[in-house]
Amino acid sequence: MSTMSARAGDVTAGRARRRASSTELSRWDKVLRAVSAIAGIVPTGLLVFIAVIMVVAALPSILFNGFSFFTGSVFNFGNLYATTTVTHNGVTALPHAAYGVWPLIVGTLATSLIALVLAVPISVGGALMLSEVIPRRIADPLSVFLELLAGIPSVVFGLWGVAVFGPFIAAHVYPALSAIGHVIPFFKAPVGVGQGLLTASLVLTVMIIPIVASTTLVLLKRVPILAKEGALALGMTRYETARVVTIPYIRTGIVAASLLGWARALGETIAVLLIIGDIYSVPGNIFGNSSTIAAWIASTLDGALQDFTGMGVHALAELGLLLLAISLLTNLAGRLVVRRVAGGVLPVGRGV
Amino acid sequence: MRTGLMGGIAALGTLAVVACGSSSSPTSSSSSGGSTPTPAAVQTGNPTSAVTLSESGSTLLLPFLQELVAPLTAQYSNITLAPSGGGSGKGISDAIAGNSLLGGSDAYLSPGQFSQNPTLANIPIAISAQGVWFNLPGVTSLKLTGDVIAKIYEGSITKWNDPAIAALNSGVTLPATTIMPLVRQGSSGDTFLFTSFLSATNSAWANGPGPGTSVTWPHVATEGSASSNPGMVAACKPGCIAYIGVSATSAAQTAGLSEAMLQNKAGNYVTPTPSTIGAAVTAGAASIPSNLALSLIYQDGAQSYPIVNFEYVVVNTTQSSTDNALAIRTFLTWAMDPNGGSQSQYLSKDNFVALQGSVPASVLSAINAKIASIT
Amino acid sequence: MSRRRRSHVRAAIFWGLCGVALFLIIAPALDIIISILANALPVLKPSLLTETTQGTQLGLQNAIVGTIVLSICVLIVAGTIGVLAGLYLAEFAPPRVASTARFFSEVLAGVPSIVVGYVGYTALVVGLHWHYSLLAGVLALSALILPYIVKTTELAFSSVPRALREGAIALGLSRGRMIRKVLIPPALPGIVSGLVLALAISTGETAPLLFTANFSDKLPSGLFNPVGYLTYVTYTDIQLPGKATQAVAYAAAGVTMLFVLLLILVGRRITARSRRLVARMDV
Repeated sequence: MSTMSARAGDVTAGRARRRASSTELSRWDKVLRAVSAIAGIVPTGLLVFIAVIMVVAALPSILFNGFSFFTGSVFNFGNLYATTTVTHNGVTALPHAAYGVWPLIVGTLATSLIALVLAVPISVGGALMLSEVIPRRIADPLSVFLELLAGIPSVVFGLWGVAVFGPFIAAHVYPALSAIGHVIPFFKAPVGVGQGLLTASLVLTVMIIPIVASTTLVLLKRVPILAKEGALALGMTRYETARVVTIPYIRTGIVAASLLGWARALGETIAVLLIIGDIYSVPGNIFGNSSTIAAWIASTLDGALQDFTGMGVHALAELGLLLLAISLLTNLAGRLVVRRVAGGVLPVGRGV
Repeated sequence: MRTGLMGGIAALGTLAVVACGSSSSPTSSSSSGGSTPTPAAVQTGNPTSAVTLSESGSTLLLPFLQELVAPLTAQYSNITLAPSGGGSGKGISDAIAGNSLLGGSDAYLSPGQFSQNPTLANIPIAISAQGVWFNLPGVTSLKLTGDVIAKIYEGSITKWNDPAIAALNSGVTLPATTIMPLVRQGSSGDTFLFTSFLSATNSAWANGPGPGTSVTWPHVATEGSASSNPGMVAACKPGCIAYIGVSATSAAQTAGLSEAMLQNKAGNYVTPTPSTIGAAVTAGAASIPSNLALSLIYQDGAQSYPIVNFEYVVVNTTQSSTDNALAIRTFLTWAMDPNGGSQSQYLSKDNFVALQGSVPASVLSAINAKIASIT
Repeated sequence: MSRRRRSHVRAAIFWGLCGVALFLIIAPALDIIISILANALPVLKPSLLTETTQGTQLGLQNAIVGTIVLSICVLIVAGTIGVLAGLYLAEFAPPRVASTARFFSEVLAGVPSIVVGYVGYTALVVGLHWHYSLLAGVLALSALILPYIVKTTELAFSSVPRALREGAIALGLSRGRMIRKVLIPPALPGIVSGLVLALAISTGETAPLLFTANFSDKLPSGLFNPVGYLTYVTYTDIQLPGKATQAVAYAAAGVTMLFVLLLILVGRRITARSRRLVARMDV
């Protein structure tokens, strides 16, 4: 009893020392809140900073090139060894300078779309297999494996693509594939030696599958088991259960997962640069060499710095701004879809 | 304090050898040996504190610089050379921006770059060349002209057995393989040399893509690309044609590629050898402009090889520290010295040719004067 | 065919296709890991750790040390800001501010890495005259992984059971003391595993570092000097022919891959352990 009163005395004595309660904030709490508030603003500040820098850096190019930037097909710094410059709309560039990035827009969208169209069905199908059919003993380690894959660095994919996958598929699969060329001219030969648009798209597919698949697996675990068992009790096969119950349940989640994969495909630089052949043109066939916005910026920045008028660097900034705009717009559009149907929280995943 | 004193003395025009630097390392500023007259003396020596000469740029120059790292530090213990690649364009832009102390480049600076950066200089340290290689199983020797090569890269000649190629090579059976022209990605001095050659021999090319470290390559369906000289070797699969700097010659030979014989201005077909390279230099480098930017492409001379160039080090003549300036002057002078960096054991591995002995004394003086202006 | 038989046939076709899909997921992945390791393991000699990438040496010492230094610095910069920001979003921010800040953070996650690199080059390397530097590289990488740390930290804090908070309030603890004593212990595994995963992401990046940190053949020598890192070695050496350089490219890729896989496994282990802990709390 004496200990209890002693403790009670402690409490009142402590209270007398006037510590703040959880509803008010002591001085330290105010400091903590201020400091963490500053930290909380940082992501927004960074985003604004990035956007502002890109716009300011791109402005001279926007003025110089106008709308032909998006429709033209020639990316020429001009005569680097010229002694005169040309001026247009108040900004100077080298003679014969022309900046049209249509081939890059085509390359970027084509590779990312092909990758997305291939990756989503494969990921969903494989994830369904893992969660519905394969016994837990094997499925659990495999799902861990899938998460590990999402972490493999881009440059490793590039290395594999250029050294192993590209040559293999060009020798064994493409010749057969080019038979489709009789029906669809875009698939005709020559098939090349392993670089090119299709190979880059396929490697991108392999890169984004782990993200989409492991996110889908997480979603599949959340499907209420009662609904699935009810379907089975009604006599539906597992396939019909999947089609009628499971997939509709995770539909918006798959959209969200696809968004993550799409973002990664759009922004992928290094792997694409190593595989796609870095040639500035819309390829004549699906096996041909091409380039994407991200890969072109990375490979051409040094060249742009040779342009003493600076227009080369500004043109690359406009290109980066274009990629940023495409990424952000598709990101926002996808979010709208997700939010419209279910107040969905996007699961954590990798960007690029 | 001694370094400050040394840095303050301008040694232009004097022929006296000035001893400076720490007592442990020998110093010399004028070339020794040979019958060439002593050019203008340059302040050189071992700096009192360690200096790292960061270098980036030309992959044609890189193997030569890599060989010089150890002997340079052996001679001047406080100077360490740190070369890397990235292409001539990167070298120039890094030197301009100050990201590297030295920029390696096969291409001299453009007039615009000179006027925008008045303190920038390009200083030749060696002479190199470029070959045109091809991969055609069964064919080991081929004669080509710049005009025909330009047409290949323009896409008007697409097969190896094209009449234009056959006309130059009577007696050689050419297969009907599709030609795969290789280009260099990014900004490359090799591209500058190659396109300068094409511009000199094909008027459509001169008026179209023209010469440059990066150009708009005409669209050819089978075009491929690589990002360095060794990369060109690796990417050259059967059917390909590629422009490869001479420092990658042994790699190209090991990979089974064959070198083409190019037609020079006099009409003869030559490959890059020390004598054909020397002939081009003799014809082209009788004098040199004060900014040292000189093209040696497609020169006169019965034996001249058509794609020859100075290997330039791009450097800022105004350095922030006197130690850096001293290290740079020392390195450049030593690199050109036939007893220093320009010994045949270092040059021959990369098929380079030494400056001394190839260019007249007036050119050497101009180069030394430029080196002396680095402070 | 009866309806039942038809539905069974359709089911068989469907699961057959799904099986093919699973194969298409597993097979290339296995091929990547096996082919990289197969080419890398023969080259993993002790000399990799003692020699650098300079000149004709074939070591990875500068790249390995550089990658570790970059990771530690990124952990300090992005980790501090990210954890504090996550704390703010979970504990201090009014709901409207929180949802806006959260939204922008997720949008930041969608910025392509090459754009981050370009901004770093324009603003830091050129604009502030830092030239190619370790610090510029660290800031670029931090910008890239910040959103992930913010999200995982916020998730960790908001996953702490309400009952614990209410108990703290009932006991009269101050906000700061509540955070320190009551929220952080259960949230810590989630925070740490989030940090570890973000670190794994940053280790595998190349594009943002190309134009900010460039590369160096020597050991890291200061915040304002360039630094070497493993992914650059793989990126450049794979384009150079010759058995020796190709071997170095594979070795660098193998080391990077093993490092990343190790980090991910560690992160998962921490998460699994914490899940068991929270389950045992029974609140």
